[in-house]
Amino acid sequence: MKMNWTPEELQAIVDEHALVLFMKGTPNEPQCGFSNRAAQALQQFGEPFAAVNILSDQRAIPSVCAWSDFPTMPQIYVQGELIGGSDIVLEMLQDGSLQEMFDEGRSA
Amino acid sequence: MVATEWIEAEVLKAVPDAHVEAIDLHRSGDHFHVRVIAESFDGMRPLQRQRLVLAVMKQHIPHPIHALDLKCMTPAQAETAGDTAFDPHGGGQGVHIRRIEKNKE
Repeated sequence: MKMNWTPEELQAIVDEHALVLFMKGTPNEPQCGFSNRAAQALQQFGEPFAAVNILSDQRAIPSVCAWSDFPTMPQIYVQGELIGGSDIVLEMLQDGSLQEMFDEGRSA
Repeated sequence: MVATEWIEAEVLKAVPDAHVEAIDLHRSGDHFHVRVIAESFDGMRPLQRQRLVLAVMKQHIPHPIHALDLKCMTPAQAETAGDTAFDPHGGGQGVHIRRIEKNKE
C-alpha cells in the first residue's frame, strides 16, 4: 500500500475499519511498550483490528498527529472515532465501554 | 530532562482544581506516569479529560517529554484505582508507584 498520509487517506482507513490501531511497529513486533500494551488490549478484546505501523515512514507520525490533533502514539479509533492512547483503551476494555462503543456502531 | 514538580505545575495550568502526582518512571526525566485527579472530570469521557491536559502538555512532546502515560480520574475513581503504573520499557511488568497522597497519611 502506497501511503502519503494525507488526511483523506487517514480518514479512509478509520472509515473502513471498525477498529484501527496506529502504532510503533506491528502487533507481533511492537517497537514501543505503549504500542505493545494497546495491541495486547485489542487482541484481548477479540475483534479484528487494522494495525498501521507509523514507523514505516518518517512522515507518518507528524501527519497522523496533526490530523487527529493528538500528540502521542499509539492512537486507537473505534467506529471512526479517536478514543485515545493505550491508557484509555485499557481503561475502556476493563470497564466495558469499549464493547459498548464498538456495538453502537457509527454515529450517522 | 525535567522534574516531576515541573510536570505537576504544567498540568495544574490545564486543570487548576486537580491533584497531580507525576512519577518519573526511570529517573531519566523523560518518561512519566501522571495521575490527575479532579472533581471537574466528572461527566467527561476519558479522551476529553486527556485533551484538557494535553492542550498544555503537547508542546512539550516529544521533547523534553518522551513518554506521558496519563491517568485522569475523578476523586471517586481514584479511591478504587490501583497503585501500579505501566512501564513502557518494563517488559510488560507494572511498576509499583509510591502514592504521594497515601504516604502523607
